[in-house]
Amino acid sequence: MDPLRGRNLDVQDDRQPNPVTPAVAPAARLDALLTELGLARESTEEGLLPVAPIEPARLLQTAALLRARGFMLLDVVGIDYLDYVLRKPARFGVTYNLYQPDTNERVFLRAYVEDGQHLPSLYPVWKSANYLEREVFDLVGVRFDDHPDLRKVLTPDDLDGHPLRKDFPLGESPTLFRDGRFLDPAAFRAGLTGQQGGLTGWRGGERKGLAPRAEAPVREPKGGES
Amino acid sequence: MTVQETDTRSGSLLHTETLSLNVGPQHPSTHGVLRLVVDMDGEYVTRVVNHMGYLHTGFEKTMENRTYQQNVTYAPRTDYLHSFGHELAYVLSVEKLMGADVPERASVVRVILHELGRLASHTVFFGTGLLDLGALTPFFYAFREREAILDLFEEVSGYRMNQGYLRVGGLSRDIPEGWAQHVSDFVNGLDRHIDEYESLFATNPIFIDRAKNVGVIPKDLALDLGLTGPNLRASGVRLDHRKANPYCGFEQYDFEVPWATEGDSYARFMVRAQEMRESAKIVRQALGLLRPGPVKDPNRKISLPPREELETSMEAVIHHFKLVTEGFHPPVGEAYVPVESARGEVGYHLVSDGGSMPYRLKIRAPSFVNLQAMEYAGVGGQFADLITVLASIDPVLGDVDR
Repeated sequence: MDPLRGRNLDVQDDRQPNPVTPAVAPAARLDALLTELGLARESTEEGLLPVAPIEPARLLQTAALLRARGFMLLDVVGIDYLDYVLRKPARFGVTYNLYQPDTNERVFLRAYVEDGQHLPSLYPVWKSANYLEREVFDLVGVRFDDHPDLRKVLTPDDLDGHPLRKDFPLGESPTLFRDGRFLDPAAFRAGLTGQQGGLTGWRGGERKGLAPRAEAPVREPKGGES
Repeated sequence: MTVQETDTRSGSLLHTETLSLNVGPQHPSTHGVLRLVVDMDGEYVTRVVNHMGYLHTGFEKTMENRTYQQNVTYAPRTDYLHSFGHELAYVLSVEKLMGADVPERASVVRVILHELGRLASHTVFFGTGLLDLGALTPFFYAFREREAILDLFEEVSGYRMNQGYLRVGGLSRDIPEGWAQHVSDFVNGLDRHIDEYESLFATNPIFIDRAKNVGVIPKDLALDLGLTGPNLRASGVRLDHRKANPYCGFEQYDFEVPWATEGDSYARFMVRAQEMRESAKIVRQALGLLRPGPVKDPNRKISLPPREELETSMEAVIHHFKLVTEGFHPPVGEAYVPVESARGEVGYHLVSDGGSMPYRLKIRAPSFVNLQAMEYAGVGGQFADLITVLASIDPVLGDVDR
């Protein structure tokens, strides 16, 4: 074939048969897999997902076993169970969404950790853990040991706290930025509109920047000044 | 900065330094606000670091503080190019929690909109992707079709991009009269237009030079990185959730899953071109399956009662009041329904505590995970290849940052 012409446009031509992932993943086979790994489904009324709790110490080893079976890590979900209706073993549940594309099996592993407790990073097993664990660290505040680059990924550097925790203050809160700029939303809005700041949705709690609060040059914007 | 003895690749004895180059966040070829810090040895890239978060607006936190029904308007705003994929993934997860019964007609309309959304997204991919490579013409061709699709969206839902047309248990309202005919007219002419795009790039020697063997992601690396969607299929894994975990009755449709084994940028372009043909095929079949019928779950605990009933039935008024003020309460539990969007697997991991708002909602954003491939596929080539790789991976920064 002329190299400049490129190859045939038809991409599903005569190459090796690669079957489309089958549409059936029997629940019994999934249970057998979990039993083989020494795990069991979470036995609560929330039975819609095959969630298997796992001790943090066994996480890395189990992940390696699943990796060897062709599972890929699709997502890491950090859940803060602070106000949850059911009693959970610990405050945070870090859920690993694992999927096998050849057999169409999906397993959710969940490691429970308390605030301040660390989890082993799964980066040595799956490279996709890199961003996903950074996101959980950023938004929920669970730390991962031996992660190559555990930095914030989504929120600004000078945001203190982890927004997806249930005790993160909601609504407008005065914010002190690292460069010393201080922003009070109500006064800021009043400065823009020339009207009263009015009530805000702020429900208590103050979001602090990295600089100490006392050093803030408190300067409320005047009307017409942004 | 490290000073190297020689520029090893060119073999000359010039003393060179590794250069760190900042790309973005305001740069047309980053498809939004993505910032890349690229370490370069001469013209060759040795390291790529992504910096995201410029569009982070806390979708997950916002959605945890809105009722399930209100969230239908938030979900599509994450991935603004294939917004229907997110909307559908969210609604399907809630329906699984609620055990809602979606009527046949609603499912068929969802399939049509889902595939039209994929077509709209892929047209942007071709337009802007080839624009990054210096080809201006395909942009105009692709946006001609995109405009036609957005007009169809506007006709059915009132919005061109972020529809918010779905309701838990069905659609917000039935499709307008004549809409099916307009869709039919559009998809019947589409194959000819896809031929036009392909004739613009598939055999274009400049494009082949810039895309073939550029940014190769081998199969094992793709699985390791958790890639999904066309990027994974271009690397030789034939995973498509429309086949693997059929939703909205996708098992009734006859379509192929395009795939390639090369894993380079050219394969990613070609797989998407084929996908557009398959989407057109699905829409044509779905139009044939469109039968008259209800478009909402009749369960009054989920769907609003019809307007006429409010004047005659006290029950209807009570249900209307409860649904509008408070919303419905799914049982305690978790749900996750994977949906094949134009970028890969979208899923909303919902945790319900029995209240009228999700206790925890996690968006599985395909662009966020796919973007990691930049740090592997972009390395080793020239800087110009990095732009090709980014265009071929097709991230949407709204989906990355959420």
